[in-house]
Amino acid sequence: MPWGLHTKDAPGNGRVMIVDDEDTVRKVLRLTLTKAGYDVVEADHGGKGIETIGSDDNMLMLDVILCDIRMPKVNGLEAIAFFQQQYPSVPIIVVTGYPDQKMATDLLSRGVFDYLVKPVDKDKLLATVAAAMEKRLALRQDL
Amino acid sequence: MNGVPLTLRVIIVGAGKGGAALLELFTRSPDVEIAGVADVNPEAPGLRLARNLGIRTATDAQVLIAEDRADLIVDVTGDPAMQSLLLQHKPSHAEVMGGTSALLLWKLAQRERDLRDQLIQAEKLMSIGTLASGIAHEINNPLYTITGLSEHLHDETRPEVIREYLDEIITAGQRIAGIVQGLNAFARRPQAQDIGDIDLNRTLDEAVKMARRATVLDQVKVVTEYGAVPPIRGKADELLQVFLNLVTNAVQAMEGKGTLTLSTARDDGFVQATIQDSGPGIPHNNLTRIFDPFFTTKDQGKGTGLGLHIVRDIVTNYGGQITAESTLGQGATFTVKLPASPPLAS
Repeated sequence: MPWGLHTKDAPGNGRVMIVDDEDTVRKVLRLTLTKAGYDVVEADHGGKGIETIGSDDNMLMLDVILCDIRMPKVNGLEAIAFFQQQYPSVPIIVVTGYPDQKMATDLLSRGVFDYLVKPVDKDKLLATVAAAMEKRLALRQDL
Repeated sequence: MNGVPLTLRVIIVGAGKGGAALLELFTRSPDVEIAGVADVNPEAPGLRLARNLGIRTATDAQVLIAEDRADLIVDVTGDPAMQSLLLQHKPSHAEVMGGTSALLLWKLAQRERDLRDQLIQAEKLMSIGTLASGIAHEINNPLYTITGLSEHLHDETRPEVIREYLDEIITAGQRIAGIVQGLNAFARRPQAQDIGDIDLNRTLDEAVKMARRATVLDQVKVVTEYGAVPPIRGKADELLQVFLNLVTNAVQAMEGKGTLTLSTARDDGFVQATIQDSGPGIPHNNLTRIFDPFFTTKDQGKGTGLGLHIVRDIVTNYGGQITAESTLGQGATFTVKLPASPPLAS
């Protein structure tokens, strides 16, 4: 299975990595996503996210990344740049407390799938992740 | 006219509102040197300002004029007797500007001051905007914990899990309360607009605290080398604006990563504060322009180009100085020198 865990035939709805430095924020996202049938991997900062996506048994096994911006060590912008360069077929959804229009426009124009501002509505989050999964599938089938 | 000097030396006679406005305007004009300010009332606002700025003052205009150090004597007393006195006693080469022409100049100076106040206000609003988005970030995280966990409480039946979520919700609520309390404390600082003795070390700390809120990436190492410095006489708000601006600029220059070194030291009758960053530095040809109004290297909508201009304005109004030094690739250093508050006469 060269292009990830999640194929149309695989059980579950796909695997999402949550990159956020706040434990309780990750918890809310994890609860929401696991209840909707997604597999969840967590990282508490950008560097950990990069390490997780690159580690052997997780190689290319992520379908969607949810990423915060303001984090210690490696921040979201740096992590996103890395993900986009190394894993262009994995859609990235920014989930941030920063309502910054300019940053949102910049990131979207650079190919980020969506920019959500906390507190995110549960249905909005699930709809966005589902749409990103669709895109992920489409991207993989093109390959 | 022959022999118009490169630097115009001016004496202001009358140091009420009009004289004070002119004095402020002239101190910001590089080619004008103020030879002295006179008013019969030793407590006239213009005289007090002049004393703060280290400018010669006198309660008798004739004394100043006799010193023969002025090319122009501006009389804003509106008193015809004063004008004839000045015309009688002035040195032959000096001109006297009085009556309606002096009134017109005063009106223009007041207009200039109003515009300057509006600029300061605009710049303040801009920094409040940046600050607001920083605060939004701080609040939105715990807020999401509250709304998110509450949603999950809906279909949760296990008592221990319910208790766990509730505890986390309470903690998040308390965090928000703490942020709001901090903001309130800042907004309601007593006498922020009044002139008083300000501890520069505390102002720097406060500026860093606020800048942390206002910037996206808070991975800046802050090193403080504070000396035991005497207080500064000034308005807490204005001094905070000066240092918040310098600190924010430094953090932005470093793109949120690097070392910010803040130091203070006593220097004769002055207190010197330096703000040093480890950013990319300022190109030499920009270094001479950074204090100019509307000069900015930031993206459209990100900076008014007024920040440093206003900073210099405030510093000069206190009788201080600001300088910038930079070597490309080695960061930038801003040095602010402000007169120490004179010790109260016992």
